[in-house]
Amino acid sequence: MNYLWHILVMINIYIILALSFNLVAGYTGLLSLCHAAFYGIGAYATTLLMMKAGWGFFPSLLAAILLTGVLSLIIAVPSLRLRGDYFVLATLGFQIIVFTILYNWVSLTRGPYGIPGIPIPKVFGVEVNTVFRYFLFSGVIAGFCSLLLWMLKTSPFGRVLKAIREDEIAAAALGKNVSGLKVTAFAIAAGFAAVPGALFAGYMRYIDPTSFTLMESVFIIAIIIIGGAGNFIGPVVGAAFMVLLPEALRFLHIPDAIAANMRQIIYGLLLIILMRYRPQGLFGEYGFE
Amino acid sequence: MGNTGLNELQTWKAKEVVSVNGVTIECCNLTKTFGGLKAVDDVSVTFEAGKVTALIGPNGAGKTTLFHLISGFLRPDSGQIFYRGRRIDGLPPWRIAQMGIGRLFQDVRVFGKLSALDNVRVAFRKQSGENPLWTVVRRLKVNREEQTFTEEAKRLLQFVGLSELENALAEDLSYGQQKLLTIARLLAAGADVFLLDEPTAGVNPEMVRSLLSLIRRLAEEGKTVVVIEHNMNVVMEIADWVFFMDEGQIIAFGLPEEVLGDRAVRTAYLGI
Amino acid sequence: MSRPNLKSVKREIADAFMEESKMLWQLLANGFVNGCLFALTAFGFALIYNTTRIFHIAHGAIYTAGAYLCYVFLVKLGWNMPLAIILALTLTALLGILTELLVYAPLERRGASLLVALLSSLGLYIALVNFIAMVFGNETKVLRPGVEATFHFGPIILTRIQFAQVITACVLLPLLLLLLRLTDWGKKIRALRDNPTLTEVMGVNTRVVRLFVFALGSALAGISAVLSALDIGMDPHIGMPALLIAAVALIIGGVGTFEGPIIGAFLLCILQSLVIWQVSARWMDAVTFGLLIFFLLFRPQGLLGQRRRLEEALT
Repeated sequence: MNYLWHILVMINIYIILALSFNLVAGYTGLLSLCHAAFYGIGAYATTLLMMKAGWGFFPSLLAAILLTGVLSLIIAVPSLRLRGDYFVLATLGFQIIVFTILYNWVSLTRGPYGIPGIPIPKVFGVEVNTVFRYFLFSGVIAGFCSLLLWMLKTSPFGRVLKAIREDEIAAAALGKNVSGLKVTAFAIAAGFAAVPGALFAGYMRYIDPTSFTLMESVFIIAIIIIGGAGNFIGPVVGAAFMVLLPEALRFLHIPDAIAANMRQIIYGLLLIILMRYRPQGLFGEYGFE
Repeated sequence: MGNTGLNELQTWKAKEVVSVNGVTIECCNLTKTFGGLKAVDDVSVTFEAGKVTALIGPNGAGKTTLFHLISGFLRPDSGQIFYRGRRIDGLPPWRIAQMGIGRLFQDVRVFGKLSALDNVRVAFRKQSGENPLWTVVRRLKVNREEQTFTEEAKRLLQFVGLSELENALAEDLSYGQQKLLTIARLLAAGADVFLLDEPTAGVNPEMVRSLLSLIRRLAEEGKTVVVIEHNMNVVMEIADWVFFMDEGQIIAFGLPEEVLGDRAVRTAYLGI
Repeated sequence: MSRPNLKSVKREIADAFMEESKMLWQLLANGFVNGCLFALTAFGFALIYNTTRIFHIAHGAIYTAGAYLCYVFLVKLGWNMPLAIILALTLTALLGILTELLVYAPLERRGASLLVALLSSLGLYIALVNFIAMVFGNETKVLRPGVEATFHFGPIILTRIQFAQVITACVLLPLLLLLLRLTDWGKKIRALRDNPTLTEVMGVNTRVVRLFVFALGSALAGISAVLSALDIGMDPHIGMPALLIAAVALIIGGVGTFEGPIIGAFLLCILQSLVIWQVSARWMDAVTFGLLIFFLLFRPQGLLGQRRRLEEALT
């Protein structure tokens, strides 16, 4: 049974990642390659605040959200005026720089050794110390984040982001502060990405930089593309699919040695095929056109 | 070419600009070059409130570039632009739009993946729901506000005859319908100055009629309306004042019948 | 412990200084050699990017494939070196052609956006690299076991293969630049870079030119990969850093130019050597990508590129 709860915990984590990334990629039309960096900053900030400052899980999480949102401005403010692949490249650069810092700032992050022994989160004094409890815990948090993101996306704010995605110039001609709105959306998405980071850290009770690499950012993009961008259901389906695919391969008795590669090959081929025949993904409405 | 007849008209000089009370937009000696080509060459014009001004001239004369300059999408290489006495060149486009200068694009520019209704609703100004915090914290107020925007948007869609298509995606509408949609969108945004780049192109004849009466009515309400128009019958019908542009310069201006009646303009540009 | 006399201290300092400067020379030489290798990759990337505007991430996978193809012929099948290399490069070029035919050309025909092409390219990269990893495993493979002969040039030591890398790049790159200027194909490629629509109108079959560009660009990645693998071996993930350095070299050198990426690659590799010298190899990536962001923000046209005003795209 724990196996099932474990998978559902991972799905909860990736749903928040995908839905927050959707605000940037699907709604605002910005293909960012550094969402995993924000995920990582969230994980490290929460962990360090819990372990070094002795804060509880929720205060640490709140501070991590704010910190991640603010740090995202470093890359968002200057690079949002770049277009197309230049923006992609700038965010890629940021992703790699953040990884390098997590990896090399040994006195703070212990670098490649990672941080073990992360305290178990407590809710009203109760330790979330079983996989089932963690499933409930992450489920409630994922539900709450989804609700907030749903409120944002179905509001005039979400609508104006879509308008910017469709035609920046027309949006500006209607008096919409295009860059201001883009920066806001980017920072909100980054702040939300800190939440799954904290959940991941509290669940694994160990983090190291290799969970927050460029390939993890690519994985998040793949979720959005396979599920579909620009609406609510797409990212949720994508997250579930991407987490379940390796488990499905396991049931097909594919040896572990090649299963990991096999999975990646499937992601890769799916990306190519979807871009060719259905760029809006399985359930999405926006196809990066 | 038969440019000689043009001399009978007044040739534009910057010094002749007289500041009238009704002047809302004032462009002084605007120049914009693209890689050596002078798209707008030392142009000085004023547009007045309560008047429909037509901007005519052959393709590539710089009319659209002039609109881009006024609405802030391009920066002039030299010269100034004033709106009601405030200098606006150098401001970002959205600020200029918020000051009340509305713009209709030649290449419609609808929000393709948004419904017709959303295309209009998104245009309203001062939506508290555009603040992400308010959409969560003051959801009820935002929803109430949204209701009035929706009603108003539906009214505007009805006005341009698109009521039945309010749920259709804008990209699925015909060119003419998209044009009408952008007009509804512009009206929703509300403006004091309307810069209309070929508003009637691609629109069916009976809709053209109501468009023209709309344009007249806007002017009667005291708005400043500037129209780039190729259909000379339309110009004759709605324009109070005409500027004729060619090769980046204002070659002639005057009352419609003066400018269009000029034989040189007719042969050089209209081919009749 | 005896008190060290002043003379020996001085001597030690002088020795340390000599060592230090020797190390600097060696690092600069290594930077130059790396620059040669990455200039080849970057030139291939630039050929493709400048003409098609596709951010060809799969270039990295094709790079990896080049090294592994050579491994198959040279080590697995035991064929002789020239044959193995020529076959590997031919197949790499073919891989480039297939990429264009099967992935990019259909998107181009559909009028898909460049972001869609970029994402397809990313998918292709992931699929290809993992295919290679599945077949050959993740561990490092060597093309030539044993110790290489070395050459000494004053304070600098180069291995024979490093020497070959320098020679290859110094012959190939000027030659390619010259061919781009002088030959018919070169003119077509430059025309495609300047204005695809106009090139097509002028009666050039742009599809064929694109295929040619992909073949040539991929072969160059292959050459660079084989030369690098002969020196330091390979694993399935060597392609990504090579691609990223090529892309950064193109941006800082100047998008749209063919000399730019070469200069960019040399600058970048020498800068990396200096970072190793003064800071640490661990911060190399941060410096590389910091430089990329700096250029994107403050000089997006790169060192040699002409400033293309964003606003002109509007009208």
